[in-house]
Amino acid sequence: MLGPLQPLIDMVTSPLFLMIVLFPGLTSIAIIGALLGWLERKVTARVQLRIGPLYASPAGGILQMFADLIKLSFKELFVPENSDAFFFIMAPTTGLVIGAALVGLIPFAPGLQIANIEVGLPAFLAIITLSPSLVLLAGWSANSKFPFIGGLRALFQQTAYEIPLWLSALGVIMMAGTLNLAQIVAAQSTGWFIIPQALGAFIFLVTSVAEMERLPFDLPEAESEIMMGWQAEYPGVLFLAAQGPGFVKLYAFSALFTTIYLGGFLGPSLLPPLFWMLSKTLVVIILIMLLRSTFPRVRLDQLLRAGWTTLLTLAIVNIGITYLLVVGLPTF
Amino acid sequence: MTDLLFLAFAAVTIGAAILAIEARDLVYGAAALGIAFLGVAGLFFLLDAAYVGWFQIAVYIGAVVVLILFTVMLVGPKMGEAPLGLKRVSLLAAILVSLLLGMTGALANATAFPGKDSCGSGCDLYLLSTSLLKNYGVQLEFMSLVMAAAVIGALALSKTDRGP
Amino acid sequence: MVAQGIPEIGAYIGFLFVSTVALIIVLKLLITPRDPRPTPEKKKPFESGQIAVGPGRTRFIIQYYPYLLMFVVYDVIAMFLFAWGLNLRSLGEAGSLPVLVFIVVLLIPLGYALHLANHRENW
Repeated sequence: MLGPLQPLIDMVTSPLFLMIVLFPGLTSIAIIGALLGWLERKVTARVQLRIGPLYASPAGGILQMFADLIKLSFKELFVPENSDAFFFIMAPTTGLVIGAALVGLIPFAPGLQIANIEVGLPAFLAIITLSPSLVLLAGWSANSKFPFIGGLRALFQQTAYEIPLWLSALGVIMMAGTLNLAQIVAAQSTGWFIIPQALGAFIFLVTSVAEMERLPFDLPEAESEIMMGWQAEYPGVLFLAAQGPGFVKLYAFSALFTTIYLGGFLGPSLLPPLFWMLSKTLVVIILIMLLRSTFPRVRLDQLLRAGWTTLLTLAIVNIGITYLLVVGLPTF
Repeated sequence: MTDLLFLAFAAVTIGAAILAIEARDLVYGAAALGIAFLGVAGLFFLLDAAYVGWFQIAVYIGAVVVLILFTVMLVGPKMGEAPLGLKRVSLLAAILVSLLLGMTGALANATAFPGKDSCGSGCDLYLLSTSLLKNYGVQLEFMSLVMAAAVIGALALSKTDRGP
Repeated sequence: MVAQGIPEIGAYIGFLFVSTVALIIVLKLLITPRDPRPTPEKKKPFESGQIAVGPGRTRFIIQYYPYLLMFVVYDVIAMFLFAWGLNLRSLGEAGSLPVLVFIVVLLIPLGYALHLANHRENW
């Protein structure tokens, strides 16, 4: 009797649609992103012996970012004069979409994965390469000095971290013998890759913090030198769209680190796999947040020098070590 | 469905490529070039070559388009409006290029490109890897030489006379 | 025949894009206030409270340009190394020899570039 509505109902209740809309897709990303904003302020406050957000709450100011969201929605939305309105609006919006798209590649539990791509790890790293060029376009579009400097810094920062990031991920691929993220998790059932890949995991963590543009590598937005950099001119909701990718990428990269180094959803079976996945991800997130309140910001030339010499050399050494672990000592 | 997707990706690629040439503002041209590369990546996905498709995105959009964007922004908008006057030459060039492409297509063996039937289960990533390193190892070395020459050339070109 | 998982990620990205743009448009139309008192100062570029001077897109970072050129070349090597890495167990030592030569050939210009970077202070 439902008749013509039946295909629609089938689509809405299909597992893929539910995953896209609820978990691990849209709704959960929005809520987790907002909660991460609160958590970051709380963790930073605890390190600096402050209290942090307190009042917008049932408990400990947990609704602070939702309050900020509502506040920013009531701000006036305008485009600065002589700026490029198309890129000014499209660049942060697309950046937010790209950040959220990364979550769709992560296996959160057996079967709980939006897109099980055969080459999942390169797909993740390929999608993320789009974000610095969007930052550059956003900084260029505002026609203002600080945003433009921030955009250019994002561009040069990408040249420093990206190659070590790919080469450190190569160590995992050599160990697992596959590019598929679910199969990489399955390959860790005998032992987490963080033990043989300790050096690779370190490089991956450092370069992914640089990719997320978080302290100590937040050169493109460095609020104490270039006034939030590329985000300086963004008003209201667009500022939200510019800030959002930071937290969404923090979530996605921590989930990827958990997946490829910490055994993903594997764990003792008395609790469900999803619990292990999310709790390990939370540990990685808090570790990255502690980096933020511990280290001072580096300069652009220091980052470029470190990326092209230290990190790249360590990544190649890591590939050599992994080769010896997988194949054995050379005989020729 | 696949045909429709192919037509959509091809239309996006060609449309964005035309926009990349004709855009008045060169930054828009560079961004349109990025969209064209995305369309090409979509064509690779349709051919069941996801590996090549993702690296198309990572290398061409993540690095090449970024370099072009930077250069265009460096040069600035004033110098970006010259090539519009050369309509007749560009028409001739378009005819020549399409003739060349048509001849190449006619000369190519019909079996060289299997068309819609992608390579299926036989050509997985492991086969690609084995044939790249066992059959095409020499070509790989030549490729590395080309890349090394490119780096040295870039360094020589960007060398300024400042400093010792 | 589309590669595995691509339709899903395509649908997901499309859904994300439509919902993000729709959310921003809805917020703009329903909640965000109109400009009640338009002033010319409001739309001026932000320069820490000073009056903005000169064009906005002039402060270029050019001294690291060689790194950008090198990045375009070295970004490609991941493609070949990933194809080698995923099959390392069955390729073994004999199959890995071309990759070893590949890496060594590419490290030589890198060393030259970093030598230039260290000896000439401009980048």
